[in-house]
This record gives sequence, structure tokens and C-alpha cells, in this order.
Amino acid sequence: MRKAWLISRQEYLNRVRQRSFLLGTLSMLVLIVGIMVVSALIALGGRDRRPIGYVDLAGVLHGQSAAAGDGPAVRAFADEAAARAALESGTIQAFYLLPQDYLSRHEVTLFYAKDKPGNQARSTFDDFVRNVLAEGQPADVRQRLTEGSRLILRSLDGQRQIDPSNILDALLPFFAGFLFVLATMASSGYLLQALTSEKENRTSEVMMTTVTPMQLVGGKAVGLMAVSLTQLAIWLAVAVVSILVAGQYIAELRALHVSPGLVLIIVAYFLPSYALIAGMMTAIGAIMPDQQQGQQMAGILNLLFFIPYLLAAIFLSNPNSPVAVVLTLFPTTAFTAITVRWGMTTIPMWQLVAGWVILVAAAAFSVISAAQIFRIGMLAYGQRLGLASIRAAFGGKSG
Amino acid sequence: MTMPTVQLSGLCKRFGSVEAVSDVSFEVYPGEVFGLLGPNGAGKTTTIRMMLDIFRPDRGSVRVFGKKLDEDAKNRIGYMPEERGLYKDLKLESTLVYLATLKGMDESAARSRVAEWMKRLDLYDHRQKKIQDLSRGMQQKAQLIATLVHEPDLIVVDEPFANLDPVNTRLALGILEEQCRAGKTILMSTHQMYQVEAMCNRIVLIDKGRTVLYGEVEKIKRDFTTNAILVEGQGDFSKLPGVLDLRQENSHWRLSLTPGTPPQTVFRALAMRDGVKIDRFELAEPSLDDIFIAVVQGKNPADVAAEEGSHA
Repeated sequence: MRKAWLISRQEYLNRVRQRSFLLGTLSMLVLIVGIMVVSALIALGGRDRRPIGYVDLAGVLHGQSAAAGDGPAVRAFADEAAARAALESGTIQAFYLLPQDYLSRHEVTLFYAKDKPGNQARSTFDDFVRNVLAEGQPADVRQRLTEGSRLILRSLDGQRQIDPSNILDALLPFFAGFLFVLATMASSGYLLQALTSEKENRTSEVMMTTVTPMQLVGGKAVGLMAVSLTQLAIWLAVAVVSILVAGQYIAELRALHVSPGLVLIIVAYFLPSYALIAGMMTAIGAIMPDQQQGQQMAGILNLLFFIPYLLAAIFLSNPNSPVAVVLTLFPTTAFTAITVRWGMTTIPMWQLVAGWVILVAAAAFSVISAAQIFRIGMLAYGQRLGLASIRAAFGGKSG
Repeated sequence: MTMPTVQLSGLCKRFGSVEAVSDVSFEVYPGEVFGLLGPNGAGKTTTIRMMLDIFRPDRGSVRVFGKKLDEDAKNRIGYMPEERGLYKDLKLESTLVYLATLKGMDESAARSRVAEWMKRLDLYDHRQKKIQDLSRGMQQKAQLIATLVHEPDLIVVDEPFANLDPVNTRLALGILEEQCRAGKTILMSTHQMYQVEAMCNRIVLIDKGRTVLYGEVEKIKRDFTTNAILVEGQGDFSKLPGVLDLRQENSHWRLSLTPGTPPQTVFRALAMRDGVKIDRFELAEPSLDDIFIAVVQGKNPADVAAEEGSHA
């Protein structure tokens, strides 16, 4: 155990001290902060605080006004000429004209000078009209009328709930899953590099007389996973702070929440997914003669994990389609498929459990097979391990 | 009876259709320098790898320090493989300390021991350099340090002098001799027979995966000794009793004796002869090189003797 720990520590410290780690971490940070700053600037810049006007030829709004709140103030004008004058002088950003037959046609005309009013200004006026029209109705009816319909999907056991009206809530699992898959890929990529460099440096033979293959590969895998998790933790911390700051300007971000179920599923699927790909990378590192060829092979394998992202259109149109279910149960795609589906549907419990069990079994097979190939492959300096050798390794005598 | 440090019994290893090692057995005792010899592809490295648990044998058993190789035993072994290398993009000192801690040393002890070795081998001033920035000779010295820094009881060196320049060969030889004097057990696989003759107490010769010769160097040489003597000096060496043939080889004469003639008879005859000055008189022992080549060509001591005799 001490030796595995020493190897983990060595791999971790070596990697985090490398310039490439700092650059990789910082560039993502710059990207996260940049996106948040740009979003906030767009939200701020696009927010015109000048009032919205209206001319009510139908006489349904009774000349009422509304003070500015989250959105701009709403002001009534007696006629179109007065409203036009206010618009031309820049006192208001736009005005609506409600024709005499508004109640039968439900059509209005929007007048604006140069820039169309933003969503917030338009929804402020919509809310104002609904509120005035619903005056005199019971409170619950008014609330339904002003809020509109809200569809919530809830699982039969009540444990899962999805509110499609909050698009960020739906996208959060997608992005969280993507980040973790990215971390998994990064760690396994580091592992492949570490193992092929062990082979290229001719150090594996000395290492194998000092530690067991399991200590060597396990120590490296854990150390390099810690590297990715460190990177991920830094990114997440900055993302959370950025969301908190940007949430001051973007209302949707304030409503964002992370469900404990999502956290649980990421934790449960992350480790076996990493073990699965770590085993595969160990085998590639042992089979391939150098880092370059190893990475080419790894690139193809990585695609197996990204299939659900490539088939995002299918998931979006029907997150419970047979393709989505099969990919949820297939070990290499289970993690990504679940995170893609999580925000769009309630995944049946049997699929979550079956997918996890299959994934764990595949991960165990991957790790054990990799250990078999490792002993022979790591000493085949400068050579690609042939099929005969791989078969011999699986014969159980070499490992 | 002393327990062997290394005990290999009936080791077999097959890679696909190739039988790399077949029924190899030998023992290495504490404090001895043991030579593992054989031509290229004979199975020496595979034998070492099985001994060190890098490969598992198909059949046979390996015992090191009287037991199966466990973590404690691994910490007592220093191994310098033929295919050697260190982490090129890491700094010298931290790499050596890391390897020493993996061998069970605590970090502060490893740090001071590594410093001592680096000072001794003139590497101390380069300790903060990356290994890839060191010269090849320096890298070889670093490899030696990595093998010995944890003071192993068993030192296994596979072709220790391969690719070494003369200065480093002498350095490596001196260090191995020093380890030998310190009572460490050394198992050395090499092609350089003169080094084996100079250092090894006992040897095993493997050819095509099989043991073809095993025992004490002196005894093996005696077994292969032909009935001939080498004489160096001045005077007439012809027409001596019991001498079948007389042949000059470089600065000495080779005298082939008739079967049953003891060398002492010839020595006495020479001593009695006037005008003869003898600087050297010795049994014509074959070198390990000769024995190696003869055995690899499938000859036994009798064949070698007969061959020597046929010169007569």
C-alpha cells in the first residue's frame, strides 16, 4: 500500500508541476470566467431601462402604469402621436399599440426606434397586460393566467422531478457529465502517457522488480485521477463563484440547482468508468510500442465514450428511445448516456442499476485483463505486442 | 548447511511455440559471485525475469532468501537489467530518492544516501539536472546508484558492462568487487568471460534454454583441461619423455602429453636438461571463453580433450 501511495504521489506531483498542467487548467478557467463575463455583459448591455409605452385604443388597460421592477416601467400614452414623440425623443424604448378590436383579434403592434426591445422588456409588458386584464378575477386564477402553464415531470416514486421550463436545470447534468467524462478522458490519457513513457524510458523492468503490476498501474491511475480531479475542482470552484456573481445579472442562473440524485449518479458511475478506461489504456500502453501509436489507438477508443454526445439529436427527440436505453446499458457509453438523459427524462431505476452493474463488471474485466497483458507487453521494448503474445498473456501463465 | 540466497528448480517458460527456458535449476549462496552465462537468446534474461517475478514460470519453483519472492524480499534486491533506463524528464536527485523509497527506505535516509553516492560518483553537482540532460556515462552511473542505494543483499546485474566505456567499466567493476567484499550476493549475467573468470566463484551456462554446465569455475576448468602443458622459457624443449607433440604458441610452447603421462615427469625431465631456463610451467587449462564456445557447440570435456589431442 505504501508503494502504491508513493507512486501516486510521484505521478501527482510530477504532473501538477508541469507547465502543460498549469496552462491547461488556466486556459479552461479563462474560458469559464470569460463566458460568465460575456453573458453578464450581454445581459447588462441588452437591458434597456427606459420605460415601455402603450397606446390603448381598445380601452382595456384603463390608462394604468407600472413602476420599474426587474423590468422597465410601463407608461400609458393618450394617442399614437404622443407615443411617437416620446419614442423619437428617446424617453421610451418602444411602445405598443392596442387596436380597438384587440379583445377579438388579440393582436398588438410594437413600435421601436432602432433596437428591438429585449425579452425582458417584452415579457414585462405581457405580464402587465395579463395583470390588468385579470383584475377582478380570483387570486389563483390571476396567478395561473400570469404565470402560464408549467409542466413538471415526476417519477412514480416521487424521487425524480424535471421541470422542462428551466432549461439550465436540464442542461446542468449534461454539462456536469461532460466535465466528468472530460476528467476521465484526461486522467486515462495521462495514464497512457505515463505507461508508454515507462516503456520508452526502459524503466518498467526495474519498477516491476520493486512493485507489483497492480501497485504500479493502480498507483499511477489513482495519482493521475487525482490530477484530473484537482483540475476539475479548480474549474468547478471558479464556475460556482462565476455563477454566483453572474447570477446577480442573469435571473436563470439564480434558479439553478444541483439535485442530490445527480451527484450520487456521477459519483457512482465516475469511478467504474475511470477503471474501465484506465484498464483499456493500460492494455494499449502495454501493446503499443510508443506513445504516438498508443495515443492514436486511444483516440479511437475515446470515441466509444462520446457516442451519446454524437447522438445528442436522438436523445433530445426521444430520451427513452431504444438507442438511448442500449447506450445506457453499454459499459463505455453508460456514464455519458445517463448524464445526457438525466435532465430530459426520468430514467427508470432498473436501467440505472443494470447499467451500473454491467459497467462495474466490465471495469473489473478490463483491469484484470490489462494486468495480464501488462507483464509481457511492458517489456516488449520498441515492439507492438502480437496477437499470439496477447493470447499467451491470457493463458494465465504470464501474468 | 547454508541456505541458498537464490534457489531455482526446474524452471520452464514457453512463449507461444518457443520454449525460452526448459528445466533450468541452480542455486546461489550468500556472499558468492555467481555467473549466469549463455549465448544470445539462450534464456538468461527470461530466467532472471522469472527469478524476479517479472514473468511467472510455466513450471518449476523460485525461492529467494529461502521463500517465495515477497515485498520484503524485493526490497532486499538490487537489479540492473540489460535494458536499462531512468525517467528522462525528471531530475536526477528526486528520481533516485523516489526509487530508493520504493525499495523501502524512508525519505530522509534515502536523500542522504543518494547524496553520498552522487558525491562518490561525481554526480552531486548535476543533481538538479534532468536525466535527459546528463551524458550517457553519467546516466550509467545513476543507474548503478539506483541499483545499490538501498544496500541490497542480493545484486542481480544483467550484462553490467554492456555499453560502458572503459572508465565506467572499471568503476562498475570496482563497485561490484567492493559489494562482494562486503558480503553481498551477486548474480551476474554477462558475455565477458574474462570478467567472469576474474570475479565468479561458480557459474551456470545455459544454452537454448537448458542448463549445460553448472559448478565451480575452477572445477569446470579442470574438467576441461586437456593433457597438455604450457612452458615458457629458453632452451630446447624437444624430445622430452611422454611428449607427443610440441607446438609454439605466441611466447610459449604447448606440449601435448601421451595418455597417462603426469606433467611432473616432463617437469623433472626439463629440470634435468642443461641449458634450459623455465619462466612458466603450467597445465594448459582452457579459458572460460574456450569452454563456453566448446559447450555451446555441443562438446563435452572429453570432446575438447580429444580435439586438443588431435593437434598432436
